[in-house]
Amino acid sequence: MKILWNWLLEYCDLDRAMTAEQGAAALTKAGLEVEGLTDLGAGFSGVVVAEVVSKKPHPSADKLNIVSVITARGGEVTEVVCGAPNVPAPGRKVLWAQIGATLPGGMTLAAKPVKGVVSPGMLCSEVELAIGDDDDGIIVLAESDTTPLGAPAQVAVGVDDWMFEIKAPANRGDILGHVGMARELVSIVGGRVVLPNVDASAFTDVDAKVGFAVEIADATRCERYVARRIRGLAVAPAPRKMRQRLRNVGVRPINNLVDVTNYVMFELGQPLHAFDAAKLQHGKIVVRNAVAGSKFTTLDSVERTLVADDLLICDGATPVALAGVMGGLDSEVTSTTTDVLLESAGFTALGVRRTGRRLGLHSEASHRFERNVDPAMAEFASARAAFLLGQMGGQIAGEVVDANPAPRKLAPVVLRHARLHAIAGATFAADTAERILRQLGCTIEASTAAELTVTPPTHRFDLGREIDLIEEVLRLGGYDAVPDTIPRLRQAPALQAPDRQDVVRHALVQAGLSEAITFGFTSETRVQSLGLPPDDRRATSIPLKNPMSLDQAVMRTSLLPNLLGAVARNASFGEHDCALFEVGSVFLARPRDPSLGRDAGLADEQHMVVGVLSGKRPAQLAATTAWDVFDAKGFAERAIEAVSNAPVVSRATATVPYLHPGLAGELMVNGLVVGHFGEVHPAVRAKFGIDGPVFAFEIALAALPSAAPRQMTSIAKFPGTSRDISLLVDNSVPASRAAEVVAAQAHPLVQSIRVLEEFRDAKLPPGTKSMLYSISYRAADRTLTDADVETVHTALVKQLVQELGAQQR
Amino acid sequence: MSSPDSSSLIAQLDALAAQFEAAVAPLVDEQSIRAVQAQFLGKKGRVSELMKELPKVPPAERPAVGAATNRVKQAIETRVESKLQELASAALAADLARSIDVSLPARPAPAGHMHVLTQVRLESIAIFAELGFAVASGPQIDTDWHTFEALAMPKDHPARDMQDTFYIADDVVLRTHTSPVQIRTMLNQAPPIRIIAPGHVYRRDDDPTHSPMFTQLECLLVDEGISFADLKGVLLHYVRRFFARDLAIRLRPSYFPFVEPGAEVDMECSFCALPGAATANAWGQPLIRRDECRVCKGTGWVEIGGAGMVDPEVFAHVGIDSEKYTGFAFGMGIERMAMLRHGISDIKYYYEGDLRFLRQF
Repeated sequence: MKILWNWLLEYCDLDRAMTAEQGAAALTKAGLEVEGLTDLGAGFSGVVVAEVVSKKPHPSADKLNIVSVITARGGEVTEVVCGAPNVPAPGRKVLWAQIGATLPGGMTLAAKPVKGVVSPGMLCSEVELAIGDDDDGIIVLAESDTTPLGAPAQVAVGVDDWMFEIKAPANRGDILGHVGMARELVSIVGGRVVLPNVDASAFTDVDAKVGFAVEIADATRCERYVARRIRGLAVAPAPRKMRQRLRNVGVRPINNLVDVTNYVMFELGQPLHAFDAAKLQHGKIVVRNAVAGSKFTTLDSVERTLVADDLLICDGATPVALAGVMGGLDSEVTSTTTDVLLESAGFTALGVRRTGRRLGLHSEASHRFERNVDPAMAEFASARAAFLLGQMGGQIAGEVVDANPAPRKLAPVVLRHARLHAIAGATFAADTAERILRQLGCTIEASTAAELTVTPPTHRFDLGREIDLIEEVLRLGGYDAVPDTIPRLRQAPALQAPDRQDVVRHALVQAGLSEAITFGFTSETRVQSLGLPPDDRRATSIPLKNPMSLDQAVMRTSLLPNLLGAVARNASFGEHDCALFEVGSVFLARPRDPSLGRDAGLADEQHMVVGVLSGKRPAQLAATTAWDVFDAKGFAERAIEAVSNAPVVSRATATVPYLHPGLAGELMVNGLVVGHFGEVHPAVRAKFGIDGPVFAFEIALAALPSAAPRQMTSIAKFPGTSRDISLLVDNSVPASRAAEVVAAQAHPLVQSIRVLEEFRDAKLPPGTKSMLYSISYRAADRTLTDADVETVHTALVKQLVQELGAQQR
Repeated sequence: MSSPDSSSLIAQLDALAAQFEAAVAPLVDEQSIRAVQAQFLGKKGRVSELMKELPKVPPAERPAVGAATNRVKQAIETRVESKLQELASAALAADLARSIDVSLPARPAPAGHMHVLTQVRLESIAIFAELGFAVASGPQIDTDWHTFEALAMPKDHPARDMQDTFYIADDVVLRTHTSPVQIRTMLNQAPPIRIIAPGHVYRRDDDPTHSPMFTQLECLLVDEGISFADLKGVLLHYVRRFFARDLAIRLRPSYFPFVEPGAEVDMECSFCALPGAATANAWGQPLIRRDECRVCKGTGWVEIGGAGMVDPEVFAHVGIDSEKYTGFAFGMGIERMAMLRHGISDIKYYYEGDLRFLRQF
């Protein structure tokens, strides 16, 4: 919210004088963070208040005048050329930009001839000083203006001030006005609050009546309703300083009536509403809930459909305002209004918020009501507005209608000193809490060595509990007064399994992949880019109800699309060689599951690992070798082994829609599929605009078994030997089949079998390939003889030939 | 054939020696040298063959012949050794004659890059582990109840405006902070509770300093006798360990519905120092003058998160006795910590998968 420093100071009698910067620092330290500090008068300089002495026509231009001005009684008279049509009579004050003055936009004035007469500067309009919209003539100060001659123009127009942009805590409705902020500053700095003048007796017709009764149907929604009547108003612009202050806090001045209601709202935090009394028919204001489905046109000319929860102000039975949110079009004050019914009410926060939210209406008034406006201030604010309108010529009815069925009384709260010290971790002098709470306007009902009984002031809705008072004592006592300590560890942390996501990250980074982190949401187009069949859970994404863009409209069901996006993006910047992975959550829809209690509606969130490879492998000089499917397989196996310490086997699959049907495999651990690898389907990568092949792997982390600590196996003491075997087999026989055959034999002398070569050639019989294997033999207790090996090897070869349908070559 | 005399045999031995030299001189490998050595010195070698004549030499002359034989054998063996030595020297010299251009690029060893956010997260976990904090986690799509209501933000609470929320359903949201993990932990575990919860969170915000997804690190300690001073001590420890510098922290009163007293946490700016103070950080990187610092705008402070004492209302929601137990919680942005330590200028870089960024860390 915007607070003007000098306006604020009008309500403070501080124990020590402060600059705006010091004030900002003090508020910030007490939790009212001043996020911006603007010198409102910095836009121009060298412009002073001057009095018109005389004027005469310019000798050679009809529309120009030569105006004589002084900046001190009996001072030197200067002639300034002025083209404005509204040069005032002698004795009135204007604003003179002298030679050397700088104006908004950076122009510096020099003496310059205007149609042959040299003018020492100029007389300024609102637009020239960038303080308003009036470009029809120069600024002429009001006759009642008391700014001394020669004073900076900033003082005269009300921009000799600092504007604070304050981050107001959401629970502090009481500081959404300058008086409220003054209470706060006084509490922090010391001093007392000076309330503005409300003595309107000079403008009051004591016998005049309001002419309206007030009936509150539901006191839980409207705690108080104060009505005043002001007659005989002449709608005109409000005084210049009032208008300027409103502009400075971001409100456009309208006329004296509207401006006063706004001014008092920014002064006291109490929203006011002015009805044109001539447009009200029934002599009775009724505050009641709306009839569901009824219509009401607010003063922004929008017809709204209401629900029963909405609160209305009615003229008899006719709705005239949406309580606390916005007035109605039909009872709006206009430039012809002379007779006003002024509302100052206490609408309760949640109701205003619900209506405002539902209708998408957020006003200065609703903003305040949503954060609690003190009903105890309603009468004072009404009186203040009446006083200001009285000053502008209004006649105030002596009667005040104040419907205040159940004045709110805040309950006393007990503050235990021991509790304060326990929460703070520090001790305070015995009277510190009492002193601070008194500064805040609290009443100390009782004080013992152990505790205080405290009644907060009516505007501090937020002080209902002991902890609230403790916070206030710490806040104003200074958080800096609390030392820093290290909390005692009473119990060792619970056992924790290593985070598999991090285990995989480490393994893949060591293997040479780089980690990407992409958004948890993605576009529906990307979800569908994988070509998943409708019965695949990943084909149905979870949409956001209020996404910011189509690119972030649904939750991802696979990590692959965002990574393919990263590959494409890298390529667009000339980075064609990618080796990326991501470890993260995907979000799968699942039917509401009541057995999960509160979590019934949550997604099935699964942790996945996906890697993508494009372009070439890292190489010393010009990279020449491209990644291929077996790189993807290798990285996948490394990741799985890091988590599970278990052997991985693979078999071909042609059914993963986003992988090339002939260049893809399933990864299996303990007979269960845990992931896939292969070349990304060319049609899928084409949707991302990727030109070359991309190889990928994916692993479902939840599917992996946990690893036990590795156990050492004995180191062989005797040398082993190996035999190579070349087999001609059908293309359909996987290379890994030979290992399965060998493993099934479980011969104690056979150590391992390794593929040395896969050879495909047109010279081989059609549909066949030649496989070269090496089988290792070793005995634990002796050096093997040729004869030992020969017997086993011959049997093994026979078995292989038979089971693989192979020919030995 | 007449019986040989000693001088003739000795002359023949000497001739063998000369023949050996001639045979061995051109050889360049050990195997050939050994073969020639065997030809002369082997059991059936030429020296042995010649010695078969020895019985025919008058006995008185035999010692002279014997001596000559030993001399020749010795000479051949010495020559074999020296020849092998020469070859080894020549081979070594040839090997040492090789040279390369060492300025050519290295053959790259596998070099993947851990994302800088992961690095900061892991390091933060390690620092908190020193104080006994364990890692906890929760879902990114969470209930409105865990995310707001149990944290003292009922529906229609104005504080919800502070965190513009992505909704999945009326009662399901993308979590706007990691604080729901506090709730889940406190529901599942009795005090003492010491956890940190790093994780992705989402807010409807997108500008140079905000990303719709970012990463928070939540910290919660609930036990008997936990105070605001403990909160300060733990924050201070973390900041100092993470930046390896005696930085100060400052708590400013602030409002979060689920903590009271609540605070914004400021850290002394890690980029700058007052004139006359340190000129470099613990890693030797130069510090700029505080009045010229654009990170803290000369204030000396940068905001890193929110903190406070767990509000009794939150304890009530999870069934913890707030008279017996007190606790503190804080949350901070991991992106922010990475920015402050690594000089990262724009939050969007973290999520683009751009190798030119990832490779730098």
